[in-house]
Amino acid sequence: MRRALPAMLLITPVAIGAAYSAAAAVGLAGPGARGFTLRPTLAVLSAPATWRSVAWTVAVGSVATAIAVALACCAARWLLRRASWQRLAVLPMAVPHVAAALAALLLVSQSGLLSRLVYAAGLTQEPAGFPALVYDAAGVGLVFAFVWKEFPYLVLTAIAVLATGTNELEEVARTLGATPRQAFWRVTWPSLWRGMAPAVLATFAYLVGQYEMPALLAPSDPLALSLLTYERSVDPVLARRAEAHVLGLLALVLTAAVVLAHARWSYGGEEGRS
Amino acid sequence: MRPRSPRWFLPLLAVWIAAPILMLGLRAVARGWPFPGIVPVGGVDAGAWLGFADVRLLSALVMSMGLALITGAASCGLGFGIAGAMVDTSRRSRTLAMALALFSVVAPPIALAVGLQVAMVALRLNGTVTGVWLAHLVPATGYLTLFAAGVFGAFDFSLHDEARTLGATRWQVFTRVTLPLLGPRLAEGVLLGGLVSWGQVALTALVGGGVVRTLPVELLAFVRAGDDQLGAAAALVLTLPPGLALGLLHAATRRSGAAL
Repeated sequence: MRRALPAMLLITPVAIGAAYSAAAAVGLAGPGARGFTLRPTLAVLSAPATWRSVAWTVAVGSVATAIAVALACCAARWLLRRASWQRLAVLPMAVPHVAAALAALLLVSQSGLLSRLVYAAGLTQEPAGFPALVYDAAGVGLVFAFVWKEFPYLVLTAIAVLATGTNELEEVARTLGATPRQAFWRVTWPSLWRGMAPAVLATFAYLVGQYEMPALLAPSDPLALSLLTYERSVDPVLARRAEAHVLGLLALVLTAAVVLAHARWSYGGEEGRS
Repeated sequence: MRPRSPRWFLPLLAVWIAAPILMLGLRAVARGWPFPGIVPVGGVDAGAWLGFADVRLLSALVMSMGLALITGAASCGLGFGIAGAMVDTSRRSRTLAMALALFSVVAPPIALAVGLQVAMVALRLNGTVTGVWLAHLVPATGYLTLFAAGVFGAFDFSLHDEARTLGATRWQVFTRVTLPLLGPRLAEGVLLGGLVSWGQVALTALVGGGVVRTLPVELLAFVRAGDDQLGAAAALVLTLPPGLALGLLHAATRRSGAAL
């Protein structure tokens, strides 16, 4: 275990940040610190807005991850031996999140291209006739942007899993009389899911912590956890800034739980294979 | 046998991928695009691009490029160093290292930033380029450790033993065997680390304290201020280097015979 020490370099800055956050959360560091107090921690943990924010963030992250995985799995099967189309599919990787959020705004907002196409088809009479897909409580625009941005990573992962022979197994199952549906659900999907699970968990954790996309596309009620944290961190009332640290620690705990699940999955998988 | 895709799949994929990028391109050059027009009107307007002659935007661009370069180089050194040190360790240690690397990658930037901001204030680095650089190094080093672990996983270490049995010193093995073999991967690593820094918003905004301004931070400000055209131009400028990097990585993988 001593040889794992270099890896501790990775966590040191995160640990320093978390330690300062912990100190700031109890009033021992940061602007507005007035000595030990649990008031900010209790205020955050007892506020319904906090848990609504956590629930909304996790829900939007889950839905976006699920849709992106479903699309990636379908697309990967059809892109498996199409190298040039694979190159097209990874293009969103080159677009930074903040740029992708602006693109989503231009496409799905009430004055966006989609709304204009619907107007041209005679289905609406004015921009307001188009449903609000950005800044909406359902987070439709945000989910759209998340899915578009994460699709390439997941489709590349799915292609890599299928290329290890999963697709051939499905073909063997077909020759043995399985219907396409049976071959997919009983042969392809189990190994596809086993291979993709770590990437899926990583995507979910990443989306839950995203800041710039919610900043441009998410509603103000409920606030995404990252936006709520930012709002508190720049609060003109210095005493309330400690609440940002409590929220930050809450987000770090959530992420740690997902990373732990990821590690158990990966490590368990390796153990099983060895 | 190639699985047969429905006829609608490839055209739909092309639209799904290209539409958002095309929207940015059109918005960046369109003189006007009033509702309900489906295409822009009034021809091309270079106004947004002239905005890049503005000192504020130009300095943000230079700041982004500088930060990406030094973050890429430093995170590549750290990532390869950490992953290299983990090669001969137990599987449990490697799993721990990978989990820590992943945690630093997916840790919410805003959660990281609020803690690091207080640390940087204590170190008198808040609102400085050094502070922002150190903050960018956290996720970038995580990415590079994961990347380098993959590289070392496919690395043929028997070449080291052969060079040693032929009389090479450890230094000679490093400079004449390891570095030449890892060279292209190191270049890709610098590129990858640079890209992680290139897109950062939350860490820059909080640790930079509004003093260190990068292009993504300016882009967010433009869009919030309602200047979509300048925002779209900045978005395209932001997209170009990662696009080139993807192209270079693809060319490199084709040269080495690996699949994308």
